[in-house]
Amino acid sequence: MSQVVPGVHIPDYGASLTSTIYIRGLGSRMENPALGLYVDDIPILDKNAYDFDWLGMQSATLLRGPQGTLYGRNSMGGVLLLRTPSASGRDGIQGLAEVGTAGSFRLGLASETGHQYLSAGLRHTDGYFTNIHTGRPADPYWGGGIHWRWDKAGSEKLSLSNSLHLNYSDEGGFAYGRYLDGEIQPVDYNDEGSYRRLSAIDGFKVQRRGAAINLNSVTSLQLLADRMRMDQDYTPESIFTLEQKQRSIAVAQEVVISPAKPFRHWKPQTGFFCFGKAKRMAAPVFFKEDGIRTLILDNANRNIPENLGYLDITEKEFPVDSDFGIYSWNAALYHQSAWEMSRWILTAGLRLDYGGDGMSYDSQALIHYRFVPNMSVDKSFETSYIGNLRQHSFQILPKISILYVIPLTGGLDRLTPYGNISKGFRAGGFNTQIFSDILQGLMMNGMMAGLGVHLDHSYASVGAEHTRYRPEEAWNYEIGLRYRHGSVFNGEINAYHIDCRNQQLTVFPPGKSTGRMMTNAGRSWSRGIEMELDYHRGDFQSHLSYSWCNARFREYNDGNNDYAGKRVPYVPEHSYYLGGGYRFHIANHQLAASADFRGAGPVRWNEDNSISSPVSLTIGGMVSVAFDHFNLYLRGENLGEGRSPTFYFKSVGNEFFALSRPRRISIGVDFKL
Amino acid sequence: MKSKSLLAILLVAAVSCGKDGSLTTDQPSSAEAGYVGTMTVEYLGEAFDNENISVKFTPSESGTTADITIYQIKFVPQMPVTIDVTIPSVTVSAASGTISFSGDNIVPWALGGEMPRYLVTGLSGRIEGKEISFSLSFGDYPTRFSGREQVQE
Repeated sequence: MSQVVPGVHIPDYGASLTSTIYIRGLGSRMENPALGLYVDDIPILDKNAYDFDWLGMQSATLLRGPQGTLYGRNSMGGVLLLRTPSASGRDGIQGLAEVGTAGSFRLGLASETGHQYLSAGLRHTDGYFTNIHTGRPADPYWGGGIHWRWDKAGSEKLSLSNSLHLNYSDEGGFAYGRYLDGEIQPVDYNDEGSYRRLSAIDGFKVQRRGAAINLNSVTSLQLLADRMRMDQDYTPESIFTLEQKQRSIAVAQEVVISPAKPFRHWKPQTGFFCFGKAKRMAAPVFFKEDGIRTLILDNANRNIPENLGYLDITEKEFPVDSDFGIYSWNAALYHQSAWEMSRWILTAGLRLDYGGDGMSYDSQALIHYRFVPNMSVDKSFETSYIGNLRQHSFQILPKISILYVIPLTGGLDRLTPYGNISKGFRAGGFNTQIFSDILQGLMMNGMMAGLGVHLDHSYASVGAEHTRYRPEEAWNYEIGLRYRHGSVFNGEINAYHIDCRNQQLTVFPPGKSTGRMMTNAGRSWSRGIEMELDYHRGDFQSHLSYSWCNARFREYNDGNNDYAGKRVPYVPEHSYYLGGGYRFHIANHQLAASADFRGAGPVRWNEDNSISSPVSLTIGGMVSVAFDHFNLYLRGENLGEGRSPTFYFKSVGNEFFALSRPRRISIGVDFKL
Repeated sequence: MKSKSLLAILLVAAVSCGKDGSLTTDQPSSAEAGYVGTMTVEYLGEAFDNENISVKFTPSESGTTADITIYQIKFVPQMPVTIDVTIPSVTVSAASGTISFSGDNIVPWALGGEMPRYLVTGLSGRIEGKEISFSLSFGDYPTRFSGREQVQE
């Protein structure tokens, strides 16, 4: 979907945990997403569950721009609506088997019986990047999923359906190479990088058609358990690692009512949505030998005159344990009406959205230290940081759009200019990752105080009350033009301006902390033009899309620098897609060939825009032969072997990049019996 | 919160009854007392003032010696930290309402242990009423302090 849909950029990096999506200059690699995801009308409430395996998808619809009125939180950039296959009434079996480069393979089997559709899939790859420190692939992947869908029309007045998704993955990841002297080095780190996840999502849908109103209800239960291990310094040195385990449960309910008999000119719908989510997270940071020296002792001893001696910590490694209980909830009431008046269609809606978050935290650390040469016996220092935080917010999310249909003559179809104004928001939250920095500061201050040493500037930079951040809000102003010529030609061009306020950005906390934390640090705007064309005639079809996005900070001071006027990082200025295919008929068989070209860039990777990469171009293609009950296919991705940067970050003063995956070739067969 | 009672402990000469029943102040105090004042350290021939320095005077049970703890002192202005230093077992004597104390070649305590580098020499001082003053050398750093009894709210 990246680049195929103009304005959407989904960099391929990290692991399934980090499914970052940028859309119209909005997005985040951390915390709450800017794009909402719905699978079979089930809102996916945990970003960690966004990236999952499936076997076939019936449809995917992307709504661009803030969709806050109908979809609420985290739909600030848009909403992706996925629909999985359901029973079609023809019992049978479908399957898929595929092998490819990097030891990859994919297997899938689907069965359709009566009202039920059951599918299962398994995917593996040995990995595309080698960690030169271990000599092993950094990003192997094993994953699989089961999908069960049951649809039944109980009567003319009642339809029931259930959609269940189970997913498991066990993978490496975080294939990041250090950026040194303008070159991206190979992946080279010593500690484990892995991610393991089990998720279960079930949604039960009731459609009740009454005499006066129709009622749609979706009830969902979402469970997720995962564990991430990460070498946080991504170097061969033993500095520090993170192990993060989460267990979450969420329940969501949405009810939408609309008139049973549509009015001639008025189409209203009214809905109620609520959810509750609870999560337990344990996230110990292990400070290892090199980390104790460089992150703690060097910082502490830098302030002690050499002639007095130096501080030493006895442990070779020690954990800073952090346990969190995080809950969030939300309740919303919304209404949207569309009025059709001759060729005009006016749509207006409003959502009242009230929600909150809370967090309990319990961070602990125990170390032994001595001041050399004064102390001959170790002294112990134990610190704990325990408390609760909570916050809530109320959002009013309006939307108004107007559309005019112009019928065309002379064999042409219709032209539809439109304009809309809408608001969306991204939920607030808490910086859990900064707690190890807080404990680090408390430890250094505590040890110093125990020695009778007092720093002119204390290490502890922030308290827990500063770890919360509020919702980010965006107003979208958009005008566009659609052209439709039957099923042959469709085209659309639009221009937008988004004003983003209370933007959730990372800043350096005041003081000497080495960490960064998210806060509502600024404002930005993004302006852009998006265009897409579809042409389909006979056995030929093609798709062209282009996006230009200029996203800049209006206000952003990270505590060290002012970035007002700079481009928002990670957002490609241009993105392109050109794809086309043709189907040949040979005897009773069909031979199909297709190719696609994708490009994105230039991308500014840091806030001061000093590091950027040019437009990247990738080429893909596919050839398939269709027989009566099966297809054979050969598919290639990134055939030009372009190795463009997909992600950039800094850790412990070092810079790192992730690169796009290399050329991938796969051959497979799918069948239907 | 520190208790008022602790804060109210002031340095007074120990009181005893003479044969004629009159009060004398010949015995040193056994009470701990705190002072706040200015400590001046000479560094490269320049005098460098540490303002608002706290000093705790802690007599031993016998009252003949005392520990003097100086809080958050800098020996040179460029030091990015201040340190707490304790001068142990200072000799104490009392006469006519004045407590005198002195010491020489005392190894102070700081940073969790002994600090021979800052060997205390030529310590001489006295407590008179609510005032304290003393001078000494911390190794190569001639130092003097004068302060007043600390009254905390």
